[in-house]
Amino acid sequence: MESPAPASRLVLLQGTLDMLILQTLQWGPQHGYAITQMIRARSSEALQVETGSLYPALHRLERQGWVKADWGQTDTNQQAKFYRLTAAGKKQLARERDRWSQLVAAISGVLDPDPAKG
Amino acid sequence: MRWNFFKSTRRREEDLRREIATHLAFAAQDRVADGQDPEAARRAVLKEFGNVTLTLESTRRTWGGMWVDYAGALLGDLRYAVRLLLRSPGYSVIVIAVLALGIGTNLIAFALFKALALTPLPGVADAPALHFVYSRSRGGGLSSLSYPDYRYLRDEHPGYSAVAGASMQPFTLGLRERQLRLVGEFVTGNYFATLGVGAQRGRTILPSDDINPGGHPVVVISDGLWRREFAGDPDIIGKPIRLNSFLLTIVGVADEDFRGAVVGIQNDVFVPVTMLSQVSQFGGGNWLDDRHNSWVQTFARPRAGVTLARARAQTEVLAARLAAEYPIEEKTIRAFSMPFWESPYGAQTYVLPTTVLISAMSALLLLVVCINVAGLVLVRGMSRRGEMAARLALGASRPRILRLLLMEHLTLALPGACVGLVLPRLLEPIMASAQPDAAPLPLYFNFGPDGLVVAFAAALALVSALLSGLWPSLKGTRIDLASVIKDGLLPHSGRKSPMRTALVVCQIAMSFVLLVGTSLTVRSLEGARRADPGFDAAHVGSIVLDVKAGGYDEPGGRRFYRQLLDDLRADPGIEAASLASTLPLTLVDYGSNPEFAIEGHTRGPNEETHFFYNVIAPDYFRTLRIGVVAGRDFTRDDDPAAEPVAIVNETMARRFWGEPARAIGERIRMTEEWRTVVGVVEDIKYARINEDPRPYVYLPFEQMYLPGMTLQVRASSPSFPLLEHARRHVEMLDPNLSILEARMLTEQTRIAFAIYDVSARVLGVVGVVAMSLAALGIYGLVAYSVKQRTHEIGVRLAVGARRSDIVQLFMSMGVRLGVVGAAIGAGLAVVVTRFMASLLFGVSTTDPVSFVLVAGGVVSIALVASLVPAWFGARTDPLAALRHT
Repeated sequence: MESPAPASRLVLLQGTLDMLILQTLQWGPQHGYAITQMIRARSSEALQVETGSLYPALHRLERQGWVKADWGQTDTNQQAKFYRLTAAGKKQLARERDRWSQLVAAISGVLDPDPAKG
Repeated sequence: MRWNFFKSTRRREEDLRREIATHLAFAAQDRVADGQDPEAARRAVLKEFGNVTLTLESTRRTWGGMWVDYAGALLGDLRYAVRLLLRSPGYSVIVIAVLALGIGTNLIAFALFKALALTPLPGVADAPALHFVYSRSRGGGLSSLSYPDYRYLRDEHPGYSAVAGASMQPFTLGLRERQLRLVGEFVTGNYFATLGVGAQRGRTILPSDDINPGGHPVVVISDGLWRREFAGDPDIIGKPIRLNSFLLTIVGVADEDFRGAVVGIQNDVFVPVTMLSQVSQFGGGNWLDDRHNSWVQTFARPRAGVTLARARAQTEVLAARLAAEYPIEEKTIRAFSMPFWESPYGAQTYVLPTTVLISAMSALLLLVVCINVAGLVLVRGMSRRGEMAARLALGASRPRILRLLLMEHLTLALPGACVGLVLPRLLEPIMASAQPDAAPLPLYFNFGPDGLVVAFAAALALVSALLSGLWPSLKGTRIDLASVIKDGLLPHSGRKSPMRTALVVCQIAMSFVLLVGTSLTVRSLEGARRADPGFDAAHVGSIVLDVKAGGYDEPGGRRFYRQLLDDLRADPGIEAASLASTLPLTLVDYGSNPEFAIEGHTRGPNEETHFFYNVIAPDYFRTLRIGVVAGRDFTRDDDPAAEPVAIVNETMARRFWGEPARAIGERIRMTEEWRTVVGVVEDIKYARINEDPRPYVYLPFEQMYLPGMTLQVRASSPSFPLLEHARRHVEMLDPNLSILEARMLTEQTRIAFAIYDVSARVLGVVGVVAMSLAALGIYGLVAYSVKQRTHEIGVRLAVGARRSDIVQLFMSMGVRLGVVGAAIGAGLAVVVTRFMASLLFGVSTTDPVSFVLVAGGVVSIALVASLVPAWFGARTDPLAALRHT
């Protein structure tokens, strides 16, 4: 499978990867590859997570105590390292979602000023 | 802990690799499931994933922040440095060896310094915080306190949490089959508690041992004595031993490190002061009640927050009160406090100046070493210009390159420091041989490498790495990229290397200073040996006896000594024989220096009239060949029944009576009775070879009986087996009496030269090392120059120069270096040696012989060091030289 056409590919905004990972883990523990696949699927193939950023991000999140990593079995009985959201991670996710919606609201406000008048 | 860190890092690393492998595997499986060929899937996955190493790197970086990253890089640098140094083992070995010499010498000096300054009293908690308390006589002389005065301070001083006292004395330890001389202390009950020293077995001396005079026959022994003489007997507690023939019970073995309260001296027994009258060799005397009898070395521990000034003021108040309550004429200050370091008591007084000299010289040597290594580094830096240029061109930052270079030099300096740690051990025998067995006191210095020495070694390694490596590297990395690339990465340009020349000259100059220092100490030693001490020690034997330990009472002892002298004098091989209580020229004054009164003389306000004295039998002056200037020698008739008499030396006679002859018949008083002066004798050096003339008194043995005396015998001919004969005479008279020591007097007096001897030996080593390094430097520079100018040599030879011209060319270069270095060194030395003045004897600090000798030596070494490479240069094959360069 070739990479999607450049036009359909979006570059992740700085700092949003952490939030996406945390959000993905909200639905249950996952290993790295599954996380990229889930993000890709949920974004309808628009978001492609660079593995070069994924693993540093995962390890950073682990260091901050927002996720916890353990080796476990996949559905196909293979060993993989699973990341699990911690309580602190849940709070962090809520914070980041909050900030994100504020950001989206602010940016939309700028791009689409006063829709009532428009 | 550090190791754990590396281990856990390694585990994480494996974990991460596994994690990424599973990622790749899953991705490939998905593609295969979609119907792709496995091999194509694998390749596609790798392509999609991107740079695995980069991912590993950036993930790793999240683990430990900057620190881990930095440590990892340093580790990489270290690995690179080790590989590099292994590639040129010759260079590495030389640099490590040279640095080891420099660092090792400094460690020796530091170990000495540590022994004296940092742990002056092994086993004692925070010894330098202690204060000493002395009294001062009118003439300024220091003396100990009397026991009643000590007790007053102990009970009344508000600034001291504890005031303890001790008196170091010689003891004769009676073992089953022989007797042994050792040094120990009479101690107050709070001595051990004040010093913070415990007992590893049994107990220490306690305040409860300090109550009834004569009522506490106990002793604590040192760990050393316990192991040496009792083989570490676990049941030692409760066993009896004889000290000075008095029976005492061993109640404890002191802590392992503890060696008493006198710096640099090994004390082996500790007896309560209450036993002084019974046990002390100095017999009689009212030790515990007499305020005139000053013998307590007093030291005190200040309470928290009490400064020296405050303690001093408090002591002053108490001293004034003492003087008012119990006036004693001869003491102006009854008690004053001084810091530990100013105490005149202990080995530090004699050894500290030498230590400072050795330290300074060692530091200078390390500088020479660093300069030498810097020279080597500079040459290597030249050949590594290519590498550095490449690194810079590839984008390495200068700090990054410097870090790499520093790591390289540390990998050289640290092994150097490790080897250097062994050096003090090697030097110990040299130091030991300077200290004669006959040393009157068992000296002890803690030379062993401990944490402090190791830390110091590490610090020196860092400093020398910076000094010798980084600085020239810095020069080396200041590269003009364009010029290097243009010149084809090899240093062809710049035939001359002014910096190397400067380094070599600098090195020669430093070595010059060191050699002058060495020469001055060696000449001091010679001078001290040649100096006339005023007596003739050659062919005189000394035998130490203690008849009290042999079971004699006073009348028996008198009879024994009289008979022994008669027997010896009857021996045709013996020219003269006598007895003395102390030996001359043994570095310290033994016995005491009581205050003398001189009839008809009114003491000036600041006049010192405390003089040392020696108790002697008739014929002492003939035995030691000391001239009698006026009057007569003692005779056997100067006995207790006769008029009390004394003999004084010339200095004393001139001071009080104008001239020797006028002293005869005058009277002096030591304690209670007046003594008539019957003779005046020539001055000798009583303790040190460099002492000033001073008054001295001799008292007759018959009127001042002492059980412990030293027999002095002079042989009629040099080949006469003097000591054996003398021994046999003692044995014939009493086979059971132990001979505590039997030695020639010349051996005994060696201690007086020990200071000059030690400095001459250590500086000798330092000087030789410095000079060889300088030679190495000259050799290196000339050899380098020969190599660089091979082409030129080829041309010269090709156009008809003779080989001798070539030799001359390079030799003159070496000699020029030597001459310039020597000239600068001479200038430096004139300034530097001025600080040595107090350590010299009989030579001036600008001793022309030393300067000329060293200058000659330096220039000839420069000549020899440049001869070899010059000769190699002259053997260059002109054809080969022209073809290949």
